[in-house]
Amino acid sequence: MPMEFKKKQVFLRDIVSVDEAEALLEWLQNKPGARVDLSQCSHLHPANLQVLIAAGCRVSAWPQDASFSAWLQTALIAA
Amino acid sequence: MNPLLEQFLSESRDVLQGIGEELMRLEKAPDDKALLVSLFRMVHTLKGNSGLFDFPEMTRVLHAGEDLMDAVRNGRIAFTQELADQLLDAMDFVGLLCDEIENTGRIPALRAADSARLSAALRALIALHALPGAQENCEAVFDAAANALSPTNYPAQLPLGELPEAVLREAYLCAQQGPLHWLAYQPIAECFFQGDDPFYAARQTPATLWVHVGAREAFGPLPTLDAYRCVLEFRALSTAPLEELLELYRYVADQVQIVAVPAHCLVLPQGDPNGGPVYDDFVQDALQHLEAGRFNELRQAAQTMLHLSSPALWLSSALRWLLLLLEQEPQNLPALRLLIESLRSLQAPDWSALESAQALANTAAAGPTEAASDAGESALSGAVAPDQSALKSLLAAQRQILLFEDQPQWLSGRLKAVAAVLLHCCSARGALDAPAQIEAALALSLAQRSSAPLLAWLDARDDLPVAAAPALAPALAVPSTAPAAVAPATKSAAAASVASRNDAPEAAPADEAPAFGRRAEDAAASSGPKSLKVDQAKIDRLMNLIGEMVVSKNALPYLAQRAEEQFGVRELAREIKAQYAVINRIAEEMQDAIMQVRMLPVSFVFQRFPRLVRDISRKLGKEVELVLEGEDTEADKNIIESLADPLIHIVRNSLDHGLETPEVRRAAGKPATGKLTIRAVQEGDRVLIDIIDDGRGIDPQIIKRKAYEKGLIDEATLERISDRDAIHLVFAAGFSTAEVVSDLSGRGVGMDVVRTAVEKVNGSLALESVVGQGTRLRISLPLSMAVTQVMIVEADGQTFGVPMDHVVETVRVPRADIRAIKQSQTMVLRGSIVPLKALNTLLTLAPAARANADDEMAVLVVKIGGDALGLIVDEFHETAEIIQKPLTGVLTGLSAYSGSALMGDGSVLMVLNVKELV
Repeated sequence: MPMEFKKKQVFLRDIVSVDEAEALLEWLQNKPGARVDLSQCSHLHPANLQVLIAAGCRVSAWPQDASFSAWLQTALIAA
Repeated sequence: MNPLLEQFLSESRDVLQGIGEELMRLEKAPDDKALLVSLFRMVHTLKGNSGLFDFPEMTRVLHAGEDLMDAVRNGRIAFTQELADQLLDAMDFVGLLCDEIENTGRIPALRAADSARLSAALRALIALHALPGAQENCEAVFDAAANALSPTNYPAQLPLGELPEAVLREAYLCAQQGPLHWLAYQPIAECFFQGDDPFYAARQTPATLWVHVGAREAFGPLPTLDAYRCVLEFRALSTAPLEELLELYRYVADQVQIVAVPAHCLVLPQGDPNGGPVYDDFVQDALQHLEAGRFNELRQAAQTMLHLSSPALWLSSALRWLLLLLEQEPQNLPALRLLIESLRSLQAPDWSALESAQALANTAAAGPTEAASDAGESALSGAVAPDQSALKSLLAAQRQILLFEDQPQWLSGRLKAVAAVLLHCCSARGALDAPAQIEAALALSLAQRSSAPLLAWLDARDDLPVAAAPALAPALAVPSTAPAAVAPATKSAAAASVASRNDAPEAAPADEAPAFGRRAEDAAASSGPKSLKVDQAKIDRLMNLIGEMVVSKNALPYLAQRAEEQFGVRELAREIKAQYAVINRIAEEMQDAIMQVRMLPVSFVFQRFPRLVRDISRKLGKEVELVLEGEDTEADKNIIESLADPLIHIVRNSLDHGLETPEVRRAAGKPATGKLTIRAVQEGDRVLIDIIDDGRGIDPQIIKRKAYEKGLIDEATLERISDRDAIHLVFAAGFSTAEVVSDLSGRGVGMDVVRTAVEKVNGSLALESVVGQGTRLRISLPLSMAVTQVMIVEADGQTFGVPMDHVVETVRVPRADIRAIKQSQTMVLRGSIVPLKALNTLLTLAPAARANADDEMAVLVVKIGGDALGLIVDEFHETAEIIQKPLTGVLTGLSAYSGSALMGDGSVLMVLNVKELV
């Protein structure tokens, strides 16, 4: 499973495809202030990224891939 | 290069040519609907074809062209000269791409930008010229067009100030070493639905110094969020070469902006501008140090100042930059000066002015740096325009837009777009006072909902496109006069000179315009397309001429002979013979070359068989596997064409009579699927085509009986005819085994037609069949039919030609070895009996064949339908290449001769038709 929803945190793993964006958006709508763990994530489809930015999601763990992480940080730290 | 691509390129050239012609015709008759439709179809075809290959640059332009033509076709846009120009330009570009593909097999990555620009220009035309009545949603298109028309290609306008200072410093250092590019990628909103992953693409950007991803617009509350509408924007600074970046983004070239960033554009101090005129003293001192070249003092002063200031201040940031610049490029005085002066205003230095100044300095050597640094004052005339003609056409287009008299709902968007273009034009030319004026005019225009104020401004600055030319000319000629030329005082004089020079700048852009057509011509001059389409008549003429040359060259040996025998000059005879050898070689090569031109692969005929076999076998309820072999075997075009009909007959026959239905086959213990093989091979100077089936074979008994029933043979023949010969009866006219005439066969003409057609091109047929196992029909055809090789023989003092195809060998047989079996004469040749016939007898010439001194007879062994036969002649002569002309007129009936030919010595040679003769 690329996505695992916990109580106040969602774990995104491996490659999160475009199909997950809908579910992610729905979950985040009901969990304001939720956090996202990207430590196991290797790629995120931009649709998911848009959802994370729009939801103002806090990131509890960044991906291990430094350059991937650099891209994400510019979008998600400011939020 | 694969054949498909080759064909595509050759077809594309034709279509491009066609589009060009149609456009010209349309210019004369812009209302011709049929022309419009045909033009649209051509562009459409070309686009569709290009989509087969991996050429997004080409497809993109053609797609835009197609949309444009579609709009014209549907009457949404009027056809104009300008539209034709744009379209022609695009087609030239496509032609250029074709050349590049042909030469290198691919499109260089650099073309992506051209492609994006051209397609944007084409799309802009759609928006610009939209006729009233079809205007919905035009505003969005127009805005997009405006964006495309005025890309921020100027590095000074990039939002580099948003980057942290540390990144900028690193980037600055990198830019000193090599290229540095700013990349902004704005995927289109629907890109997710097209299966794109722009983030993934962006992550592939090589050698990034800084990356950023953000949203182009603010996201609304979550419940209204459309996750699948892409509003992201990716930005990066990369040290990768431009080609690499273009290659990576070639599929989305229209959504990507890549700008080369000069090092000093990164020098953007940041921080709290708190402070004030206290720095004036420092600026004064620093400038003095700089002018005097006291770099150490300047550095110390800056360091001291830095220690005294809070690091978060704008001033501190600027000082840090100053120190870095001093370290990196202390020789760049203008840059240092500009940076120091910026401390006064606490505004980031305007590097664009510096850049223009440098450009001018480069152009006009040393003198005008002073003038250029004052360029702010003399506005637009001082700086060097990046591209005069481009600027000129841009401004002309803006003027045209402003002159539109309609009041569409998107007027404000249009005005803004025009203002944006003007702003960019001015900043590109270093006109520092212009932006404020343009903005004022724009505000006025918007308020009045009229384009008049902007137009007035543009008219006031009428000197924009042309003024630089006269200003620059003296600057180049006599550098010392440059400041005078650009000084405001002489502005009226300059304007006057503009008027007088009006013609010159008009003509100049035509030479300077970066037209793809021109480049395409240059390319064509060097390489050009590799294949020609030539009318067959021209080739035939060439062929005839070469044939005649072959014949007339044959006169030389006669000449040599005469020189020796009649005039007794052996030297001359030898020389003539030597010359003959040379001419002979060249003529043979020429002949060979022209043959090659006429060669076609048999696949030309073969390619229709898969479909034919499929259809017929379906109709007959048979299962057939067709095997084609040797499709690339080549033969003369005429031969190949003459083959088409006979082959179809043969294949039909094989399918109809030869191959059985699956049930019958299974019962006979054969696989249910029958096999039909068509094979072409070249053997010497002949092409052999075998049509082989594994069907029921031909039963000679049935053939005999049928032939007898049809009255083709009499009873006596029926009795003695061999099975082998019986099979060949199928070629007789009127023969048919089928009881009922179907649409496939049974009319009794098929195989007769085959035989006639094959023999017409000097081919021969051989049929072999084993009952129950299959049939093999072999067609043997000459590679070419223009020049025939004949062996010249003598009988009763006359010479005759015998086609070399028939000649097996020449032997001398002692008269004693010739035996008579009943009426016939025979001889034994290598253990087999060969029947002999005297040519004189066959031609009803009275004298008997002569023997030579050793009492040996000259026997020409020929092959007729697979059997050897000896022709007794008087003497053998050489072989010759002749052009055989068929007998005409009253001679047509002489079946003993297949034709005549003119020999080199002027005599006529009769060519024997050996088959008919015997």
